[in-house]
Amino acid sequence: MTQAGEAFREGYVETDGFRIRYMEAGKGPAVVHLHGAGGLRLTRGHDLLSRQFRIIAFEMPGFGTSPENNRTRDLPELAATMAKAVAALGLDQFNLMGTSFGGKTALWLAAQHPEQVRSLVLEAPAAIRPAGSEPPAGSPEEMARRLYAHPERVPPMPPPDPAVREKQARLVARLRGPDRDPELEARLQRLAVPTLVLFGTVDRVIPPNMGHFYKELMPNCNLVFVYDAGHAISTDRPEAFAEVVADFIERREAFVISRTETVIHP
Amino acid sequence: MKVSYFETARYRAPRSLPVEWPVPPDAYDREAGTESYRGMIERMQFVEELGFDWISVAEHHYSPNRLTPNPVVSAAHLAAYARKITIAVLGPIVSQSNPVKVAEELAMLDNMLPGRLVVGMLRGITGEYLTYGLNPAEARERTTEAMELVLKAWTEPQPFGWQGRHFQFRTVAVWPRPRQQPHPPTYALGTSRESCEFAARHHLGLGVSYAPFDIIAKATRYYRERCAEHGWQPTPEQIIYRANILIGETDAEAEELRAAQRRARQAFPLSEGVRDALLQLDIRNVAGEARTPNVGGVLPTNFVGAPDTIIEQIKRCREQSGAGVLDLMFQIPGSNDLSFLMRSLELFGKKVLPHIREV
Repeated sequence: MTQAGEAFREGYVETDGFRIRYMEAGKGPAVVHLHGAGGLRLTRGHDLLSRQFRIIAFEMPGFGTSPENNRTRDLPELAATMAKAVAALGLDQFNLMGTSFGGKTALWLAAQHPEQVRSLVLEAPAAIRPAGSEPPAGSPEEMARRLYAHPERVPPMPPPDPAVREKQARLVARLRGPDRDPELEARLQRLAVPTLVLFGTVDRVIPPNMGHFYKELMPNCNLVFVYDAGHAISTDRPEAFAEVVADFIERREAFVISRTETVIHP
Repeated sequence: MKVSYFETARYRAPRSLPVEWPVPPDAYDREAGTESYRGMIERMQFVEELGFDWISVAEHHYSPNRLTPNPVVSAAHLAAYARKITIAVLGPIVSQSNPVKVAEELAMLDNMLPGRLVVGMLRGITGEYLTYGLNPAEARERTTEAMELVLKAWTEPQPFGWQGRHFQFRTVAVWPRPRQQPHPPTYALGTSRESCEFAARHHLGLGVSYAPFDIIAKATRYYRERCAEHGWQPTPEQIIYRANILIGETDAEAEELRAAQRRARQAFPLSEGVRDALLQLDIRNVAGEARTPNVGGVLPTNFVGAPDTIIEQIKRCREQSGAGVLDLMFQIPGSNDLSFLMRSLELFGKKVLPHIREV
């Protein structure tokens, strides 16, 4: 099997005084992806979605190879920067996908620019967390046990650069905000963008029973559990992830209507 | 010790029936069928009076040996006449059912029988794979996923979708919700490592069946170890043991009956070719140790004798297995004489039941 993300090409966009890297593949409606606290990591889920959509996966300023970001003060500000980065690519309408920490960032972005976001997909979002929860940390093995339903099935990640890891951890600790953010939640109650919230049934970072809060707050929200997936849904079950995400981006709320054909001889 | 009477809607064929499973429907006698379902009520009322704690029903298909293809329909029929007895649906074969429908139907029952429903979920005996065309290779995984979905459907407060491996639903929002919270007492049924682990992970009970005490003990020990890993211990009532029983006035009588039973035919005999192919495909285990699946075989009877002997056997069973609920399948050796069944129930109810409460 080829490496996940092999078809993606690297690009950069200058925004807000940051030079922001992104990875892009595919043709079709644009899907902008904001990564989780561990930084940009392309998965088989990205590959599958890129067959149908133009996927633009950003590396947010302060993550990965970019210099330490001491400038962005909070998540609304990071979201505003990312909105400008999207605009700099010439996109005025797009689908937005956020993973975990990036899910919270995506919610802020959608709240700031609801008219530009066609649909919102949140993979194990970290916008509503049980009191006192901490982002996963530790050795690669410990991380894998937190992130994946079946860590033994996931090829080991290259050992992370400690400097990068610590730089990202400082940034996330500063930006992640409270476990329940009344200001964000007030905004969500008015955010009518069609939204899909996904949780793996064995998420060991954010308990999947956080999912219903989004549904209760947001006027146009669908909650889907991905069976036997952990926090990293798109790595654990890429086909299952891509199927439901693609269907939602294509049909939004109407994705609840089945198109499965059962006839043997049409 | 609690005692459950396993009710199978005994069908008394007016003429001899073909043996092989599936049994041709044209052999069915309508009068006998109606009598089977009427008899369920009569026997339930009888065991209720005798002080049995539960009455249990199961799911089996395409055979007069168990006229209960839908255990929820059986339970609803009983529920309309039950006064105080708990009804145990042991259980829907979730591997081959729509799990959302299972969750809905059981939630209905739970509201009809406030506080008096218990539920078991299982993969089904090997032969059942043929009923709705279930691939044996998928049966175990489908069971696990289906059980997880049923629990989710009962407990999730908001509508949700399910992107499973074997089941996909975009909209699940079960009404009514179960009356018992978070859901009726639920058991994973089976001796397999997977059943034990699932039950331990979700704080469910475990139901085991028919095997001798030492085999059962192996499974229940494994189950308790897994529960400990998950930081809890099951109560005795969270372990059900379903077993055949043959009770007589004296040990000698019971032994004679057992001899007659040895000549009895198997419950679900399959043609050789199908049976052998299924044996190849169906992989089973007890607490992780491989075991041969039972395909069309005769199940052992582990409680045999006069009431005093049975009391001793029950004590030994409890000691070895830790099971706090016995789900008893009363045998009628050599015939289908229901008056014998009623005598057995009465003998057990009067001479055994009062002496095993404290076991």
